[in-house]
Amino acid sequence: MHDRSTPFEATIKWTRKETRDTFTCAVRISNREIQKGYRFVPGQFNMLYVPGIGEAPISMSSSPLDRDIMHTVRIAGDVTTALSLLRAGEVIGIRGPFGRGWPIEEAKDLDLLIVAGGLGIAPLRSVARHIMKTHSPKKKTAHPRRMLLYGAKTPKDIVFRDEFPRFRDTFDVSLSVDRADPEEYWRGETGLVTQLFDRLSLDPVRTIVFVCGPEIMMQTSVRELILREVPEEKIFVSMERNMNCGMGICGHCFFGPKFVCKDGPVFRFSEISGLMGTKEL
Amino acid sequence: MSVTATARKLKKEDLSFVFDQLSASHRVIGPKIEGGVIVLAEIDIHDIPTGFEDHQAAGSYSLIRSDRPEIFSFSVGPDSFKRFLHPPVSEMFTFRRSRTSITITPPGREEKPLAFIGIRACDLSAMKLYDRIFLEGPVKDNTYASLRSNAFIIALNCSRPGDNCFCSSMGTGPEVKDGYDIVLTELRDSFLVESGTVRGQDLLARLALEEATGIDVDEKQERTAACGRAMKKSIRAKELPGLIYRNPDHPHWADIAERDLECGNCTQVCPTCFCNATYDLVRLSQVSFKPPGLSGVRVRKWDSCFSRNFGRVHGGNFRPSRRARYRQWMSHKLAYTIEQFGLPGCVGCGRCITWCPAGIDITMELEALRDAR
Repeated sequence: MHDRSTPFEATIKWTRKETRDTFTCAVRISNREIQKGYRFVPGQFNMLYVPGIGEAPISMSSSPLDRDIMHTVRIAGDVTTALSLLRAGEVIGIRGPFGRGWPIEEAKDLDLLIVAGGLGIAPLRSVARHIMKTHSPKKKTAHPRRMLLYGAKTPKDIVFRDEFPRFRDTFDVSLSVDRADPEEYWRGETGLVTQLFDRLSLDPVRTIVFVCGPEIMMQTSVRELILREVPEEKIFVSMERNMNCGMGICGHCFFGPKFVCKDGPVFRFSEISGLMGTKEL
Repeated sequence: MSVTATARKLKKEDLSFVFDQLSASHRVIGPKIEGGVIVLAEIDIHDIPTGFEDHQAAGSYSLIRSDRPEIFSFSVGPDSFKRFLHPPVSEMFTFRRSRTSITITPPGREEKPLAFIGIRACDLSAMKLYDRIFLEGPVKDNTYASLRSNAFIIALNCSRPGDNCFCSSMGTGPEVKDGYDIVLTELRDSFLVESGTVRGQDLLARLALEEATGIDVDEKQERTAACGRAMKKSIRAKELPGLIYRNPDHPHWADIAERDLECGNCTQVCPTCFCNATYDLVRLSQVSFKPPGLSGVRVRKWDSCFSRNFGRVHGGNFRPSRRARYRQWMSHKLAYTIEQFGLPGCVGCGRCITWCPAGIDITMELEALRDAR
């Protein structure tokens, strides 16, 4: 395994603007040996490094089977701004992959419900693409069912908007926005993403749920799912913290006793149900 | 790690032999007075502050001349091995970046390994925790590994506790149990010396010492036991971590926050506080425009959970209140570490009590959490 505290070089193959403040950048690792040894699971993250500026933890939004590694980033701070200014052919540093990803194997024969809010769709797009590439049958089936609920602030904030038609080939997709723009045609729902649960008749015995989004949205989703008798053990959430080293030695990502960087970012809800909801943990 | 070997005796005036054996091949780190405080530094035998005694209380430390007969007549100061194995500032690599390439160069490492003399049971417990954090994973940290791998450990059994010590209640001292190459116990007229590794055994063999008697071993047991009994402070370790986990909303956290200055002294002196942050340093002279590029150094430095930036991400802060930041620190010490690494995050050295300018005493604060809200 490559030494995890030293970044390796990767070349930007392309970048694409997703919404007004998000973009996707696809990179390829320069060194062939490292490229061959690099394997990730959807839900894991890389530390993207712009030398002279710093590092940011960004989850992969591509399938592990995609040729290039994609990261979908919100322009929020120094590093993500610097990343957004780079163009194809320029290079960045990468450390990773880090953390524990989504339990793809466990989900294989179960009904899978994906619940995403905002940019939380990024690590779940990795799951969706992966399922579309690997699991057969590719088309929608009665069992296992695959469902995707996505909530964004406004229709303009829907990340990967162009890709939803393709997701619909495999997933039952429902979209919701906090507020629709009256100037623009919107035929999805308006309101919280959790309202969409009502239209799914979940079979709690054979359903597994992956949730990623703002913490409050994840809390609400989990509460609603538990009301619908989905067991805590079958609900997975991806936590956000201030990951800095990625390998459990810097202490910035503590969520109670958990290192989000190495114990997570994806947690089985039953592992953290006692911590969720404690203020300022 | 443990090697059964007979205990030996070293005359007090012959302690210099140990230095002689190590100083050619190692940087010997031990206690020394600097600015009225016993710190750790690269020393020779004459630097050991024999004849000084430290008086510690919550928020206070003073060093006075004493007529105590021991060579190690003092207890722990603010420093620990941490400053040497996990330096406050360390270089991770240098980088050079152009538009189309990044070159990373690892730092040159100190060639002479470290030897610690007089390291106490509490700090050895902390070092064991550090080994779990930085070496056992899931990823090995190069900086720590390179400094730790050849470090020679000469431990010391305490025969007198410091005023703020509470290691006996944490189960981390005062007797050194493992993690040393050799361990010294200061007896009335000599040192009892035992080896814990083959390296330690070899060193003892070179010193050609006389064998210790049963009486000497008994004296060691008596002294460490007496040291444990003399400790004034204690923590109810049996109630941990539950007491912390049950009380995230206890009103006493707000009470501590009223007194807390958020200076981060406790995190600096704590031998188990390991949190750190990394930065890029680029001098203006390292930036070039034709062709565009820059070079610089990536450094790692100690960080503190008392810093407002510690829990900050873009768009929010996970611990905006002082109450939450103090709770984070104390919970990490007394509860989380047990779950994370299977070892206590507090080793009972009492440094955080002594060096807190507000005199916040972790043992008393924990007691207060037991009170019904």
